[in-house]
Amino acid sequence: MASVKIRNVEKSFGALKVIHGVNIDVEDHEFVVLVGPSGCGKSTLLRMIAGLETISGGEIVIGDKVVNNVPPRDRDIAMVFQNYALYPHMSIFDNMGFSLKLRKRPKPEIEAKVMEAADILNLQPYLDRSPAQLSGGQRQRVAMGRALVRDAQVFLFDEPLSNLDAKLRVVMRTEIKALHQRLKTTSVYVTHDQIEAMTMADRIVVMNAGRVEQIGAPLELYDSPANLFVAGFLGSPSMNFIKGRFRREGDQAHLLCDDGTALPVPAASTAWNDKTVVLGVRPEHLNLAADGQGIAATVDVVEPTGANIEVFVELAGERVCAVFSERHPFRPGEKIALGWDIDKVHLFDAATGRRI
Amino acid sequence: MQPKLKKSLIYWAMLSPLVVVILFPFAVMFVTAVRPRDELFVYPPRWGFSEFRWGNFAEMWVKTNFGEALFNSLYVSVLSTALALVLSIPAAYALSRYRFPGKGAYRTFLLMTQMMSPIVLVLGLFRLMVALGMVNNLNSLVLTYAAFNMAFTIWMLQSYFSTIPRDLEEAAWIDGASHFTSLVRIFLPLAVPAMAVTAIFSFINGWNEFVLALTMIRSSDDFTLPVQIYSQVAGRYQVEWHHVMAGTVLATVPVAIVFSWLQKYLIRGMALGAVK
Ligand SMILES: Nc1ncnc2c1ncn2[C@@H]1O[C@H](COP(=O)(O)OP(=O)(O)OP(=O)(O)O)[C@@H](O)[C@H]1O
Ligand SMILES: [Mg+2]
Repeated sequence: MASVKIRNVEKSFGALKVIHGVNIDVEDHEFVVLVGPSGCGKSTLLRMIAGLETISGGEIVIGDKVVNNVPPRDRDIAMVFQNYALYPHMSIFDNMGFSLKLRKRPKPEIEAKVMEAADILNLQPYLDRSPAQLSGGQRQRVAMGRALVRDAQVFLFDEPLSNLDAKLRVVMRTEIKALHQRLKTTSVYVTHDQIEAMTMADRIVVMNAGRVEQIGAPLELYDSPANLFVAGFLGSPSMNFIKGRFRREGDQAHLLCDDGTALPVPAASTAWNDKTVVLGVRPEHLNLAADGQGIAATVDVVEPTGANIEVFVELAGERVCAVFSERHPFRPGEKIALGWDIDKVHLFDAATGRRI
Repeated sequence: MQPKLKKSLIYWAMLSPLVVVILFPFAVMFVTAVRPRDELFVYPPRWGFSEFRWGNFAEMWVKTNFGEALFNSLYVSVLSTALALVLSIPAAYALSRYRFPGKGAYRTFLLMTQMMSPIVLVLGLFRLMVALGMVNNLNSLVLTYAAFNMAFTIWMLQSYFSTIPRDLEEAAWIDGASHFTSLVRIFLPLAVPAMAVTAIFSFINGWNEFVLALTMIRSSDDFTLPVQIYSQVAGRYQVEWHHVMAGTVLATVPVAIVFSWLQKYLIRGMALGAVK
């Protein structure tokens, strides 16, 4: 197993630059998730680590070797593709054993390794079938198995669960995580699903438009997002943003919204006075205020999810989502009062999007 | 079961005019080939005849030197097909997988060569073969057939190759395969249906080709089947129609064999394409 260092890596397709100087250090044994919206360059970056895409600038180091000019087969990596890329003309056994066969391993060893992987992934009954005869979830496991038999230095995953239905996705998520805890192979996992990122990662890399927005442990990113993008990307339902003018007087500060409402916010430096800032509140940090206190809000839509209810309200002229674990019997049009704990909300500079 | 039977009966009824049009020449061919010589020109023409004269085939075989022509045709069709495929596969692979300058122009060029009738080129080709000293040599046909077919085979293979996911080869590279290994172990096995289909087309083109064969080949020892059969009709006082027809019946047999042998790939190829 090995670490992966990505240093100032850039990628251009012709005149189009899609990766703008990315730096990521993946430690040995670490499970790092690259997450970001569609088209932000996650797959491109992963394919550069794999050697399937040339590197336009910077360098990638696997272990202690710069691999910029090393072909994929000499990088000692394993990759799980989004569409699994199983060889349709080979049995499941041959699919999993192909890499070992190419390395001219003795037959008993190949058999043992494939059996071991099949054991871990519950694939023994299917070894003689062809990929077309398997369900999506089983194919996904075969793709995993193909990576497992390799004992590769690094595992790369490109949205391996995105073709599965919601339920299976959750199951496989846990399986992959359990597998990593057992094998501890350095892994880079690409997804656009922030829940996958939060639940699986040791560290998350949030990417946007070919740049890294923030790197950190999942809860670190969740609790103190570095900018508006990260704040809005992680969490579901996502963070509420309310724009207004900042005002600090003494120890207290508030945000003056367009409709005249004053919202309590953390006391940032007076240097921000009269500047436009954005308040970020996570839905679960909104609570019902005691009578006569809090901020007036009008209930718009109520969506029970079972465990929680999600309530969309009109607050300070914005549509805001609040999540309650109590089953409040709200009705559309009802007037309620909401409040929040000032320590749990975030302020961002409206101009740059950076956290204040 | 019942509605299904009715449905297929209706479909066959609707298809029947087409079937008749296609089968009519074969029927004429066949009944002429097997009737006794003196029943050839009865008036009014009849479908029926007094006996099956299978001997016509044996007679024809010997009299028209059919065996040699059959061999010549097989030689030319098989070799030109093989040559066209061997050269087309790398070209089609490059077209479907790599980006290179002039790719669009090259593809247009391939298509344009298909718009030209071989007859236009016959004179030029003949002079070329004269210069190469290959007139009256079957290999001249192998070369020209392969060349004429290649535009089509490259085009056809290329469009199929593009449906084979690139991920499969990439997965193979990551698994430790070289470009060559992934080509041989992963790509080509998946391309077999396309190769079979193009081989059929190329083979049939070579098998049926007439104008070039008539031009390039002078001595009757080297005649291919179409020329040989033609020589039984053209410039003769007396045409042995039953022999001509026996020859044409036999000449269609190899094509039918090739077709039925490769058709399982043909169908598999279509099915493969459908899921992708
Ligand atoms: N071969 C290519 N030629 C030109 N542009 C490309 C090529 N491959 C990718 N791109 C562009 O690079 C950008 C990043 O693509 P990439 O596939 O890495 O996105 P992604 O983050 O994986 O998105 P998704 O979540 O949709 O898979 C996109 O804007 C895409 O259009
Ligand atoms: Mg992608």
